[in-house]
Amino acid sequence: MGREIERVAGIPVVQIATIIPIMLTVGANRIVPGIAIPHPTGDPDLGPERDRAVREELVMRSLGALATDVAEQTVFEK
Amino acid sequence: MRLELRKVRIRDVRWGDVTKVEGGTLFIDKKEAIAVVAEETRFAHVDLELARPGESVRIIPVKDAIEPRVKIGDDGAPTGYFPGFCAPMDRAGEGCTLVLDGAAVVTCGPIVAFQEGFIDMQGPGAVYTPFSATQNVILIVEPIDGLDPHAYERILREAGLKLAVHIAARCAENGVPEADELTVYEKGTAHEEGKKFPDLPKVVYVCMNITQGLLHDTYLYGSDIRPALPTLVHPNEVLDGAMVSGNCVSACDKNTTWHHVHNPIVASLYARHGTEINFLGVIPTQESTIMDGKLRAARMNLSIALELGAQGAIISEEGYGNPDSDLCLNAKYFEQAGIRTVVVSDEAAGTDGASQGLADTTPEMIAFVSTGNVNEMLEVPAMARVIGCPEAIANLSGGSDESLRPDGSMFVEMQSITASTTEIGYSRVGCEWV
Repeated sequence: MGREIERVAGIPVVQIATIIPIMLTVGANRIVPGIAIPHPTGDPDLGPERDRAVREELVMRSLGALATDVAEQTVFEK
Repeated sequence: MRLELRKVRIRDVRWGDVTKVEGGTLFIDKKEAIAVVAEETRFAHVDLELARPGESVRIIPVKDAIEPRVKIGDDGAPTGYFPGFCAPMDRAGEGCTLVLDGAAVVTCGPIVAFQEGFIDMQGPGAVYTPFSATQNVILIVEPIDGLDPHAYERILREAGLKLAVHIAARCAENGVPEADELTVYEKGTAHEEGKKFPDLPKVVYVCMNITQGLLHDTYLYGSDIRPALPTLVHPNEVLDGAMVSGNCVSACDKNTTWHHVHNPIVASLYARHGTEINFLGVIPTQESTIMDGKLRAARMNLSIALELGAQGAIISEEGYGNPDSDLCLNAKYFEQAGIRTVVVSDEAAGTDGASQGLADTTPEMIAFVSTGNVNEMLEVPAMARVIGCPEAIANLSGGSDESLRPDGSMFVEMQSITASTTEIGYSRVGCEWV
């Protein structure tokens, strides 16, 4: 889906996902590693406050990735 | 290490006044067996049913299957089974085990709903599950109101083990007949066998297990291996109840507790040990839900294999989807380290079989044994008797709201049939040898 949005609409896509090799296999261009399969966009084990900080950091990193030009598949690590 | 399996062949199962084996028939004292399970006070209701091969019976939803077994002490008395669950914490794989060969305890009851399966005792669905050929004692329970799913999974898992061990123990106490077959598994440590067979290629078996929390777990000696690291066990330990399934994953490719003690990869490697290969041992390993966990497990599997001097590895997966990445990582690291690999896995290739079979790929994965397409569609007719809840098919993986028709027949994916594509390769269907 991400690839099609980029191809057809020309809108850049960031894929937040835990299992990076699968993202590389399916051809995602901008990849932000998620936390875990049951909770990719947060870390509830850390408690509400730190979970929120994790979420915020992920969103900010993803927005940064969106604004970054890439020439090949790129993983945006923390 | 010497394990003797005393297999008493079970050809029928009936209710009786005493739990015992007589003339190939397993008799079950139903009242006593229910009382043993009902010792757990968090069950609101406990019932047992019987199902035999060829009967017009559907069992749904199925959680686990367990072979009735018990360790027999030197004095002939039963001492329990599944160390950490129904036996004292001791090493499995040594001594004598009574096996009620051809019987199975099947646990039935909705837990995660979409991750149980069904068993047909006759018809086209029966071909794809080993449990259509076993004499089944089905445990059906209802939990008390408000019991959380984790507690329910645990008590149902433990109840199945307890019932299977109870049946075997009572048979041992009530004059079990001579074994129809004695199977002996005997092998020294990896070090000893290496000295005996210095010229044989050294092969290790990497047994991947669903270890993902949320009721997707596997147990080794009573311990959840999800938060653990990969380890090494002697093959006898696997064949003698060290590993227990606690997971509610898609029914087709979950290794039930029954499967672990019947692992055909372990048995086949054992059969070639000392003639074609030196079978080093089994690495039970994880399939983590975090990337670092996958990388760590694959690296540690390789560390253990390298320490043992492995030259070849068989790697079996459990489940599909994200564990495909673990499979790829294992193949990749082993091959890069010069250890030749063969992987065993099923495929989720779509109902037409045209899609990519695995969610992940790697060029190092060069030898692949497929155990079937989980998405293959199958028509199964109505059965005269349904044990459990026929409507459960709507929630099972591989089923849908439309699967169950008014006449009781179903149109389902293969993945809803218990153990239809099991990735340790235990199947009643296969390729023709040419």
